[in-house]
Amino acid sequence: MTETTIQVLVVEDNAGDARLLREMFSKERPDSFELTHLLRMSEALIHLAKGGVDIVLLDMGLPDGHGVDTVRRAHAAAPGVPLIVLTGLEDEVLAAEAMKEGAQDYLIKGQIENRALPRALRHAIERHRMQTETDLIRANQMQFKDEFLSHVSHELRSPLTAIYQFVTILLDKLAGELNVEQRRYLEIVLRNVQQLESMINDLLEVTRVQAGKLTIELQCASLSDPIVYAVNTLQGTATAKEITLSSDIERQLPLVCADPTRIRQILIILVDNAIKFTPAGGEVKVQARRFEEDSGYLVVEVSDTGCGIGPEMTQRIFEHLYQVTDPGTAGRKGLGLGLHISKELVTRQGGTIWVSSQPQKGSHFFFTLPIFSVASWIGQMLSQENKSGDTIALITVEMGSRDGWLSPDVRREMSIVARTLVQQCLRPDTDVLLPNMNSASVRELFFVVAYTQEHGAEVISERIRRQFEKSEHLQPANVTFSFSHSFLEPISREAYKSMEAFVGYVAADVQDRINIMYSQRSV
Amino acid sequence: MSQKTILIVDDDPDVRLGLHLRLKANHYDVIFAADGMASIAEARKHIPDLIILDLGLPAGDGFSVMERLKANDSLALIPVIVLSARDRAANMDRVLKAGAKAFLQKPVDNAQLLSVIRQVLGEKQYTPAVVHDLGDV
Repeated sequence: MTETTIQVLVVEDNAGDARLLREMFSKERPDSFELTHLLRMSEALIHLAKGGVDIVLLDMGLPDGHGVDTVRRAHAAAPGVPLIVLTGLEDEVLAAEAMKEGAQDYLIKGQIENRALPRALRHAIERHRMQTETDLIRANQMQFKDEFLSHVSHELRSPLTAIYQFVTILLDKLAGELNVEQRRYLEIVLRNVQQLESMINDLLEVTRVQAGKLTIELQCASLSDPIVYAVNTLQGTATAKEITLSSDIERQLPLVCADPTRIRQILIILVDNAIKFTPAGGEVKVQARRFEEDSGYLVVEVSDTGCGIGPEMTQRIFEHLYQVTDPGTAGRKGLGLGLHISKELVTRQGGTIWVSSQPQKGSHFFFTLPIFSVASWIGQMLSQENKSGDTIALITVEMGSRDGWLSPDVRREMSIVARTLVQQCLRPDTDVLLPNMNSASVRELFFVVAYTQEHGAEVISERIRRQFEKSEHLQPANVTFSFSHSFLEPISREAYKSMEAFVGYVAADVQDRINIMYSQRSV
Repeated sequence: MSQKTILIVDDDPDVRLGLHLRLKANHYDVIFAADGMASIAEARKHIPDLIILDLGLPAGDGFSVMERLKANDSLALIPVIVLSARDRAANMDRVLKAGAKAFLQKPVDNAQLLSVIRQVLGEKQYTPAVVHDLGDV
């Protein structure tokens, strides 16, 4: 143990209890402990903020602090200081909760044996020190692992590039004719290159998930485009395994509020998995329909006739690095990251993902996504009080380019930057920036619905224009912006039976205007 | 119509050869540089229509190459496509700020590469007869 004096802060409002505590230290060497006794939580917090305390003895029933809350506040004031709570005989449940909040130990008043207190204090300090050390080591290891993964993934990409280039040079006959056998073997190489590439992408994606860096750009999107894309992309893989891959999309499905590239990614993972675990002659099917259990959602189902999953596995398969280890499912299974990534992606878009399955009878993976509605975006804003009589404006910002063309990724990047800037110019309660309403459009349009006075729309446009001009991010890419706005017919909410009807009317009007805007710009 | 010239700047000789064969097959003239310094010299000498630029390079990385191109009146207008194995999310912003027209990540799908090249050069789009793509990149 250390030779220095241990600084103890005792927070206890009962003078008798405080005296008893003090006496328990009387047999210790005089310079081993130094006690500071305070009566109130408020005083304790000030004292803790100054620093220099090695351990806190905290009564859980103070005049200005009760129960677990005192622990939380003390912990927040001095996160690095170990803490022991003092409780009454009846309060062991409370003590257990305190431990969960980060207390090192608890002592029951009236049951503290002679000399037990100093020992408990020393143990708590030591335990706390070890815990801190372990946490630090773990955090360092995690960070190192992430950096390492990211580095390795990028290094692997360079040789992979060369392999891909030359395999496709041979396949495209740039180096001469191929016989049937050579072609078949090269196609095997290419397929494996693609698999390696997708594993590297999964690795990077997982490091992003763990670092909280996964980007999702919500917009008004169709479900059928990504489904058709995924089915087309994996049709070759399915045919090679003699598996029938098909899709069935309910007619006239509404649009969802989601990120289409992310939906694609989820579908590729689920369909690819389904193919992997389905034997030859089997069937994989992607279906999309309205979700019966909640009318605000659509549901996508990916079903297969494969080996299935036992009920005990249905939760675990979405965990990080989990893999089914059934010997019946021979062959390569990938890294076991796909479902974990899918779960993260679905959840971040406001949906849920689950599986229902029986061994040998195939699996059905489901995920939901919220249906897009203008009403759900502007409902909150329209229900604000004291706004009757004001007008509703639809402000349109159009993004263009000085030299006529922006590559899709540049456009996406610029759109994210511009969106953030527009958002910064809006008043939180009365203006709403709608998500991208038509990702297939050749023009990038941003729509702001503003509850405002007549001249307000110009003020907001001007504010956005200035933000754009100031932004160094938008300058080098040759991006240009133009502004326009229109006002909805003056409408009073009193004319509507309910708030819902009013919101519905405004939303429909806004949606109409947006549709017209897009149709005018389609080539 | 005379063929367009593309300058490939990459320190990996395999990648240079691979790109050379692919671009030649699509009727482009190709010249090379293996480092930052040489890329400026080649650009001055030939004034290419387009530069395909790696980021990690000896003797001046991709960013400093773009800076030097910008600072030179006769080179400032040559469009640049960055082709790198580095993380998109982490570098996109900087690459665009440096003035590149597009950021393509290695390994880049052939169809995507050719399509971006055509768009940057302002050429008419067409779908090549045979392209083995890389799936969803």
